[in-house]
Amino acid sequence: MALGLIGLKVGMTQVFTDKGDAEPVTVLELGPCRVLQIKDKDPKKDGYSAVQIGFKDKPRKNARRSEQGHVAAGLKSKRKEGRQKAGVQLPPKADCEPQRYVREFRVDTTDKKVGDVVNVGEVFKGVVSVDVIGTSKGRGYQGVMKRHNFDGLPAAHGAKKVHRQAGSTSSLASNRGSGRPKKGLKRAGQYGNTRVTVRNLKVIKIDEANNLLLVRGSIPGHNGAVVLVRPTNKK
Amino acid sequence: MQNRLIALIEDAHKKNDIPDFRIGDTVDVHQKLLDGVKERTQVFSGTVISRSGSGAKETFTVRRLVQSEGVERIFLVHSPRIAKIEVKKAGMVRRAKLYYLRDRVGKATKIKDDAKRQVVIDKAIKAAAEAETKAAQEAAAKAKTEGGTSKRQAKKAAAKEAAKTAKK
Repeated sequence: MALGLIGLKVGMTQVFTDKGDAEPVTVLELGPCRVLQIKDKDPKKDGYSAVQIGFKDKPRKNARRSEQGHVAAGLKSKRKEGRQKAGVQLPPKADCEPQRYVREFRVDTTDKKVGDVVNVGEVFKGVVSVDVIGTSKGRGYQGVMKRHNFDGLPAAHGAKKVHRQAGSTSSLASNRGSGRPKKGLKRAGQYGNTRVTVRNLKVIKIDEANNLLLVRGSIPGHNGAVVLVRPTNKK
Repeated sequence: MQNRLIALIEDAHKKNDIPDFRIGDTVDVHQKLLDGVKERTQVFSGTVISRSGSGAKETFTVRRLVQSEGVERIFLVHSPRIAKIEVKKAGMVRRAKLYYLRDRVGKATKIKDDAKRQVVIDKAIKAAAEAETKAAQEAAAKAKTEGGTSKRQAKKAAAKEAAKTAKK
């Protein structure tokens, strides 16, 4: 898997192609991101390999001490001094402002070092399509018609007070012998506000100067939502 | 309010030579069409009955009667496929959307002229026509001084030659 970037969904608009067609695009503000940590596959260390990056500075007064200590090399702490005295080699720090959004990308190998700045022009150079991971708009507790596109029950023909219900859920074929419904039965419940990945979105334009990426089509979430974007893993 | 970054993207796709045309105006829309490999322009003229959207997404609807059948087309104001929008007549209306024209026929579809704006538009049309003739003249003069033969000259020369051979 390749390294991606953290960004914000700016909004949607449309642009014209060379042929003159209008194309719907989503504008994403991506990076620049700081490399905060490289996870080690060594089972004694992290047990998996990944690159941790941060996006957007957070004022120091709003950052917790742990958030400050995660990035700052110069922060004083008794534990650190003790470890230094004991001869433990401390992990490298990015030495930057505390980061507002911190995410990881699982990568097998990387040439990035802690403290490096990665930006959109570098990560998505020559990339034709991307995957966007976001959080879908929360719709609250919804019935089956909205949540699972059920058809509901008839408006007439003797239907009384039950027009938007799911109807019968006791299918003998799928639940034979178990005495209870199958797992994953579609019912009413929380709809939206879940992690959604949209794969294989075409890259329309990369604007390095403004850290923008334009992808064709829509992505989950509201404007201003945090998204993760990576070169697509769709074959 | 529009987002700064969205505006940045849209500005790059916006034209800045869009004439001031309003609801109720009669316009000629010159569209670029790809006819095989050759590009040609087609003109759609009619009344602007609505404008909607903003920025690079703005559209306008033009209504005209073709064989007493109403035809409406929606164009993107900033589309590169539109070569030119020409305002022919300024109309004065009290609505932002003239959908009521759909229910009317004949004299009832007439829109009051905006005489004040019409003066400006007439001037612009005249200036454009003058500029065009001037450009044509200049091109002709240039062709003459450069010694190239125009079509007409070539025709004349050919006729002369033909007459000569006929005489012989």
